[in-house]
Amino acid sequence: MNAVDYLQFVLAPQIVNGLAIGVAVVLVALGLTIIFGLLDVINMAHGEFYAVGAYLALALGAVGIDFWLLLVLVPLLMLPLGYVVERGLIQRVFNTPDRHVSTLLLTFGLALVLEDVLKVIFGPNTQRPPTPIKGAIDMFGIFLPTYRLFLIVFGLAVIAAVALIVYRTRLGAMVRAAAFDRDMAGSMGVPVTHVYAGAFAFGIALAGLAGVLLAPIYSVFPTMGRDFILMAFTVVIVGGMGSIAGVVVAGLVLTQIQAIASLYISPVWTDPIVFGIMVAVLMVRPQGLFGRIGHA
Amino acid sequence: MRDRLTAAMTASHLMVAVLVVAGIIFAAIGAATGTVFYLRLATEALIFAGLALSVDILLGYNGLLSLGQALYFGLGAYVSGVVLKLVPSFWAAMGATLVAALVVGIVGGIIANRVRGVYFALITFGMAQVISKVVYNTRALGASDGLIGIPIVPVDLGFITIQSNSAAGFFLVTLAVIVILYAVTAYLLDTPFGRVLIALKANDRRVPFLGYAPLPHRLAAYVLAAVIAALSGALYPMLRGFVSPELLFFATSGNAVITVVLGGIGTLVGALYGSILLTVLKSVIGTWTEHHLIVIGVLFMAAVIFLPKGIVGLVRPALSRLVRGEAGK
Repeated sequence: MNAVDYLQFVLAPQIVNGLAIGVAVVLVALGLTIIFGLLDVINMAHGEFYAVGAYLALALGAVGIDFWLLLVLVPLLMLPLGYVVERGLIQRVFNTPDRHVSTLLLTFGLALVLEDVLKVIFGPNTQRPPTPIKGAIDMFGIFLPTYRLFLIVFGLAVIAAVALIVYRTRLGAMVRAAAFDRDMAGSMGVPVTHVYAGAFAFGIALAGLAGVLLAPIYSVFPTMGRDFILMAFTVVIVGGMGSIAGVVVAGLVLTQIQAIASLYISPVWTDPIVFGIMVAVLMVRPQGLFGRIGHA
Repeated sequence: MRDRLTAAMTASHLMVAVLVVAGIIFAAIGAATGTVFYLRLATEALIFAGLALSVDILLGYNGLLSLGQALYFGLGAYVSGVVLKLVPSFWAAMGATLVAALVVGIVGGIIANRVRGVYFALITFGMAQVISKVVYNTRALGASDGLIGIPIVPVDLGFITIQSNSAAGFFLVTLAVIVILYAVTAYLLDTPFGRVLIALKANDRRVPFLGYAPLPHRLAAYVLAAVIAALSGALYPMLRGFVSPELLFFATSGNAVITVVLGGIGTLVGALYGSILLTVLKSVIGTWTEHHLIVIGVLFMAAVIFLPKGIVGLVRPALSRLVRGEAGK
């Protein structure tokens, strides 16, 4: 096989598939990083919210709601869930001295409960919704599934929209102000409690959206959040907790490393490589590659 | 001198004494009636109590949440399993585990103690993930099957030799090991070394100004926790006859954290009572439904919100006052 063929039939499809996964990982990690950047909360239940999004898509899709409507409907349904969790659970331990530890523990407990609730409602088996866009496209002689291409384009658009909201709107300015100095923002008239709960809900909605988008590719099962959240955490840490740019860069780079490495070594060894990078980054530069929301 | 912290520790000792008496009675009843199942379950609860104890050293005395303590528990189980397959000797397995835990604990401690707070939780989580994936894919360690076919081990105590397949006997051996681990931990944490750790937890910027270097103390606590977790894990293959790679997974670390929070953070004895409570809950709930995680998750969240000192926090303050009252006379 010559170099051009290798590029066309081996490397390029792998890069594009890696990109589809990367965009999805970035969507999940964006929610995590916004929640950490603003609330200082490590949301251990984030992967379960991603699973809730996927199951909502599955259930609503089964009663005949169109996939395109689900892309809007599921994140909207996730918003009140996130709002209630923040107000009802997180705020209860938010002002304790060990905020990091107690909120982490609380969301860890929530993750256990959510996962089992999904098992009770939907059963433990793997289910797979139909692929919304069938077929494949021939691009520059590379054969690519259409849905993955759609996922890349749509995901990048959502990421750009999130960055615009956070950095270019009045709402985003309030969020950044509250992250930088809670009391100061409060005295300038920012409704801090609503901003906190709203940002948490927004992060959850992004996880739900990722669930809708990935359900047709990865199938839906109660523990689906677990494997995925590891990658999302890695991305958030490498990129810098609370940094949006960091999540995008780290998410795309790490998933490419994983995709390309799996061509040369057994795919089971790519996970240790990625986690190894995470441990190395934590040792050398614990704040990650980029700064955090409101601090940069 | 009996200050507040020593009195609390004495109260913990009393609660452990109660547990030991209850354990001996339980073993006697179990041996008389021949109920192997409950004795084995209780032995397992004690082994996991040892793991929870190590989490409490870090969380309760260092303020550092370890989400990867299963790394050392699994290390102990694998080292002990490998040694037992070569030479079926209890002491060789425990000795090899101790050395391995010291070495890996120092290396892991140097890595993990570069960071604090949530980053510590995430780095311990990351290290455990790397190692568990590596072990899971290593054929020489049995890969996904784990180590199987570990022989029955004679535990030679000098005056008596107990076989590891004797349910009541091995329960008592495990009880003895865990109580010794508790005693060593409690002793060390009640020395000036332990007080420096508590001070570091309260205000780590001020401690250096008092003339104490934070890092050696942190590292020592980390290595101590690693050794406790590994020695507890070393008992596992003797009980079950195999080592599963699941012992290294996040679920194991997570269970230990749940145990400590339910039992009571920073109480040490809470790890023992928490593990027993969790085991009882799992088997009781497990008789009606397989969805025990909902109940345990809700209880756990309730403990985080309403009971920051766990179930031990309900009993120990009164006991502690009693101890102090006696000292005042």
